[in-house]
Amino acid sequence: MDYTNNDGKQPEEVLQLIYGDCALGIHGKDFHYIFSYQFGGPESLVIDGREWLYRVPKPTFWRATTDNDRGNKFSLKSGMWLSADMFIDCIGIKVFVDTKEIELPLAPVNNRYSEQEKAREVKIKYTYQTITVPATIVEVEYVVSISGEIKVTVHYHGKTGLPELPVFGMRFIVPTKAVKYRYEGLSGETYPDRREGGIPGIYEIEGLPVTPYLVPQDCNVHVATKWLEVYRNTTLNNSVKQENSFGLRFSGVDQDFAFSCLPYTSEELENATHQEELPPARRTVISILGAVRGVGGINSWGADVEPPYHIDAGKDISYSFSVLKL
Amino acid sequence: MRAEIHYLDNPEVFRVNQLPAHSDHAFYYSREELQAGENSLLQTLNGSWKFHYSINSEKRPSEFYQENFSSDDFDEITVPGHIELAGYDKIHYINTMYPWEGHLFRRPAYSLDGKNPAEGSFSQTDYNPVGSYLKTFDLEPGLLGKRVVISFAGVEQAMYVWLNGKFIGYAEDSFTPSEFDLTPYIREKANVLAVEVHKRSTAAFLEDQDFFRFFGIFREVTLYAKPDIHVEDLWAKPYLKEDNASGSLEVELKMSYLEMPGEVRVVLQDGQGNVCYDQVEEIAEQVHLMPVDISSVTPWHYQSPYLYTLMIEVFDKAGRLIEVVPYKLGFRRIEIKDKIILFNGERLILNGVNRHEWSAKGGRCISREEMEADMGTILENNINAVRTSHYPNQIPWYYLCDENGIYVMAETNLESHGSWQKMGQVEPSWNVPGSIVQWREAVVDRARTNFEVFKNHTSILFWSLGNESYAGDNIEAMNRLFKEKDTSRLVHYEGVFHNRKYEDTISDVESRMYATPEEIIEYLEHEPKKPFILCEYMHDMGNSLGGMKSYMDLLDRYDMYQGGFIWDFIDQALFVTDEITGGRVLRYGGDFDDRPSDYEFSGNGIVFADRTQKPAMQEVRYFYGLYK
Repeated sequence: MDYTNNDGKQPEEVLQLIYGDCALGIHGKDFHYIFSYQFGGPESLVIDGREWLYRVPKPTFWRATTDNDRGNKFSLKSGMWLSADMFIDCIGIKVFVDTKEIELPLAPVNNRYSEQEKAREVKIKYTYQTITVPATIVEVEYVVSISGEIKVTVHYHGKTGLPELPVFGMRFIVPTKAVKYRYEGLSGETYPDRREGGIPGIYEIEGLPVTPYLVPQDCNVHVATKWLEVYRNTTLNNSVKQENSFGLRFSGVDQDFAFSCLPYTSEELENATHQEELPPARRTVISILGAVRGVGGINSWGADVEPPYHIDAGKDISYSFSVLKL
Repeated sequence: MRAEIHYLDNPEVFRVNQLPAHSDHAFYYSREELQAGENSLLQTLNGSWKFHYSINSEKRPSEFYQENFSSDDFDEITVPGHIELAGYDKIHYINTMYPWEGHLFRRPAYSLDGKNPAEGSFSQTDYNPVGSYLKTFDLEPGLLGKRVVISFAGVEQAMYVWLNGKFIGYAEDSFTPSEFDLTPYIREKANVLAVEVHKRSTAAFLEDQDFFRFFGIFREVTLYAKPDIHVEDLWAKPYLKEDNASGSLEVELKMSYLEMPGEVRVVLQDGQGNVCYDQVEEIAEQVHLMPVDISSVTPWHYQSPYLYTLMIEVFDKAGRLIEVVPYKLGFRRIEIKDKIILFNGERLILNGVNRHEWSAKGGRCISREEMEADMGTILENNINAVRTSHYPNQIPWYYLCDENGIYVMAETNLESHGSWQKMGQVEPSWNVPGSIVQWREAVVDRARTNFEVFKNHTSILFWSLGNESYAGDNIEAMNRLFKEKDTSRLVHYEGVFHNRKYEDTISDVESRMYATPEEIIEYLEHEPKKPFILCEYMHDMGNSLGGMKSYMDLLDRYDMYQGGFIWDFIDQALFVTDEITGGRVLRYGGDFDDRPSDYEFSGNGIVFADRTQKPAMQEVRYFYGLYK
């Protein structure tokens, strides 16, 4: 396919593809992405020279046990998802260039390519298998377009026999701590069964607050969000001394999403019995969520969350969002 | 009279030489002092006291009240405050279990077979700490030559008092004022006040509230002098008539006097200073001003807490003004008609919250500023009612509720949770107070004191018999006392849910805690006897308060569902310095090597322990705002 035009004008913007032996590089005007085969996910999202990924994003299945979860023994029933959240196997990768699937370009297949590979759109689809019993599948597609925007489509395959989910979504761990985030959605910390008091608007949250519940637990979820922008002013790049604020934007595609933006993973929160036991905040953990369990409130020693606010692990969950530079 | 250590063990001894409970009215020497906000009749004894801690009564300095006792080896402690927070005894949080669980086998006196007086149960035990407090003071000029009373606003949990070597009295009931007449023994200079506070007594069986278990003088200590003619007790009964536009006022006074009394003048003024009631009566020990109609009154209610000022002026025979008593009153009416609670004739909706008195710095020793902050939070979030869970609060709180139009469920200091519910199961084999006759007066006295002290507060709509104490003849007797004393308010108690035998004789309302919406519907759909309220719901432990809508929707569906009180207002946790980082952190049950404990169960607030609002508060504000 020829991406240069013949009338002597500027070359059209295209994606440059680097068919590496272990990863697929995608280069655009002001971004460079690396989709890893060996680590089973995108390993690098560099925008305007700044790295946004610390480790490859993975599906997330766990929220740090709330007092209510503990009281109604939810964690005893659904604890399997904690290990699923920590350990997950990537069992398949597919690559589509301009909507056509290509043979997975691992070595030596990739020898057929050159240093001048171009495309308008690239899709990488990772298939994950959980370590739950029974196991189930999550597919995550990243569609990279010329602008650098990445559309992420996540599909959880429901499986009979699995316990209810605390949460389902994608977790992005960012190398350094964000300075603030903005979003359009509801005020405050909201959950599916605690959102009526949330006032729609655009909100800016300074720092990366962890709601200081006596026992650290899931917090700062924001349901019904249209978009989220996360801002940093640091990187781990030792050659860069100072940075101005720069940001990344997540937008719902066709539907709103829920998110949390915290300096900790759910496992870090889970392990602490007091706020002061949490480690120094050094990263940003962005969870873009397709399903959230309610928090409940009838009591804290047995009453379950009301039925509409459970997540049935036997049913499929699908949602999409886009990631783009600010 | 000598103090006896076995008072601690005897449920029938709970007040010795204590003055009868009376209304919480302020009184002044003159109009000028009232206007200036000064009161020369009062002398605070707050501040630094000498102090000695002992692990049990055997080890205590039992002669420390003697005037010649050398207290050189005593420490200093700040009054008011909890002894544990001063570093003497282990901080301990536990919910329903008695705090000696797993340490000591104890059964209440006369429980089980009804015969065992359990002698020595608290007085002869390895662990029952004692705080020995000494305060030396001179009388301030305004108190000289007058009758002098000492008022302890709150001492946990049993207290002996001596003045100048003489035994003055003994008191239990940690959360109401304990007052003693010092007149026979007080002198101008160098009075030596000795207070011996025991961590536990039989009162411990009645004070099993879900909170940190503290002891000590944790509320203010005040001396007051009575003018020679004195209003000992005031009961003003403003009544709002059915038209919500007119009313009446009845006033009962108990007086004491050392000289020939003259007259008492009682005036009621509205908010603009217009006199709408003006009566003069000759002073006697009992003064009863029969109801007088007032043609036009402005009702008191949430968002419009219109208060009138009652002014009582006491004159001697010569017509000299001896005492001035002001009290703010509102006109309102609470009643049940057709099984619906009506407030000023309209269906009452309780958008309430339970509130423990709590400060992360001082425990249950909270400041005026903290109370005002709480009131601000309550008003800001459309909360209209407070249950004083589970004991009478500091007196200023009730005045704040009067002034701010907040409805109060005034709870008596009673909870015996661990005596009838064990590991979540109802098991009342040794329940107190139950129907054990030897425990009756102790709990009836708590009800009486609650009533007598707070009866003039407009904000109080409900008397509550206590919390989670099962049901028996003794709680029935408390109910009876309130009904006999006060026909103008409703009586609340939840415990009959667990013992239906008493449902016709205890509580005007069907009260539950943590009933699911379905259970409420179940009750209301099956010939309900009483209007329904939730004395506790929406347990806001950690990240919670989901599903509130299901409860609020019931308000639209059933007139007899009349709302409830969220559990609860503030997380109970304490500021400590982190042993690792040196930072100020919050600690909860189990963080002090306290075992057994219920750990983080102490934190269920809609505000954090530092009084910042939890994220869930916007949900409260929204829903309570819909039903204002």
